[in-house]
Amino acid sequence: MNNLEEKLWEYIDGRCTLDEQVAISALIAGDESVRLKYNQLLNFSQELSAMEIDEPPMAFTYNVMEAIRAEEARKPLTASINKRIIMGIAAFFVLTIFALLVYVAAGIHWSSVTLTSQIPSVSKLPEPNSFITRPVIMGFLFFDVVLGLFLIDTYLRRKKSTKQL
Amino acid sequence: MQSKLSDIELIEQTLAGNQSAYTDLVKRHQRFVFTLAMRFAKGREDAEEIAQDCFIKAYRSLASFQGQSKFSTWLYSIVYTTAMTFLRKKRVATDSIDDESIHIQVENHSGYDVNNAENKSKSFYLNQAIEQLLPDDAIIITLFYKGEQSLEEIGQALGMEANTVKVKLFRARQRLKEKLERNLKHEVKELI
Repeated sequence: MNNLEEKLWEYIDGRCTLDEQVAISALIAGDESVRLKYNQLLNFSQELSAMEIDEPPMAFTYNVMEAIRAEEARKPLTASINKRIIMGIAAFFVLTIFALLVYVAAGIHWSSVTLTSQIPSVSKLPEPNSFITRPVIMGFLFFDVVLGLFLIDTYLRRKKSTKQL
Repeated sequence: MQSKLSDIELIEQTLAGNQSAYTDLVKRHQRFVFTLAMRFAKGREDAEEIAQDCFIKAYRSLASFQGQSKFSTWLYSIVYTTAMTFLRKKRVATDSIDDESIHIQVENHSGYDVNNAENKSKSFYLNQAIEQLLPDDAIIITLFYKGEQSLEEIGQALGMEANTVKVKLFRARQRLKEKLERNLKHEVKELI
């Protein structure tokens, strides 16, 4: 590697220490051949900085965004569901099962339990008929219908947008 | 009038679901990404494919951009890996100086006309000579002079140490001068 040329490039690129800068400045001022070399490299560097860059085709941005839209449309429905919702549902079920186990465990008289005994009658679960009433069932079915319509609509929209692309 | 949003602001808006913010990001960086792709592909169609692929990849992994570097540096690292994969697919060796012969072949078939030299701009000849360099050399010169990237940032984008980039830049400039001298002969004195 040419040591002088390397130093001159460092000087031109502004990557010298202050001491090196002073030393190279003095060298350029005092030596004609170094000055010539410096001017040559400086000119080359300026030409590189002023060089024009390429221009992509006019439709480039449009093509990129269309490709992204097509990719989004191809994504399965499950991928677009927020992971937090899935985690929330999972947490709900885990908590429910845990609460149920705690409830059952709390109702057991551990002192009277033998290895052959059945779970005591105290640990009876709440009666389902007490809260599954007609309005609750109707509300549940209505919610299901709305959810079904929403899913069908989403599916049809996706199908339509994929066809258009 | 709305002031020009920064890259980070546009990224935040894109992640919030505003796709037109990403359109602005693409518009802002497409020229340079395309230029970098041209340094590898040596043809506009291939370069367009690489550049488009880069923006799609960047969109997909936008959420993983942590803002520790400039968005441009992150984007250029995607350009580099995408272009290298592209080259590998095209079975063009890129990482050895021994492969210089391939590029000499390219320049010999580029239809260069010395007599027409004065009609062309300096920029044209520089770009032509850069295209004849090895991809690593070409991309380092382009990133340094046109990408507003420091040696450290170039190193980050290309997965190299800053010192390695410094040495590579020095050698790339020397090779570029040689190419210009070979291409332009007499006219080179005006250029370098």
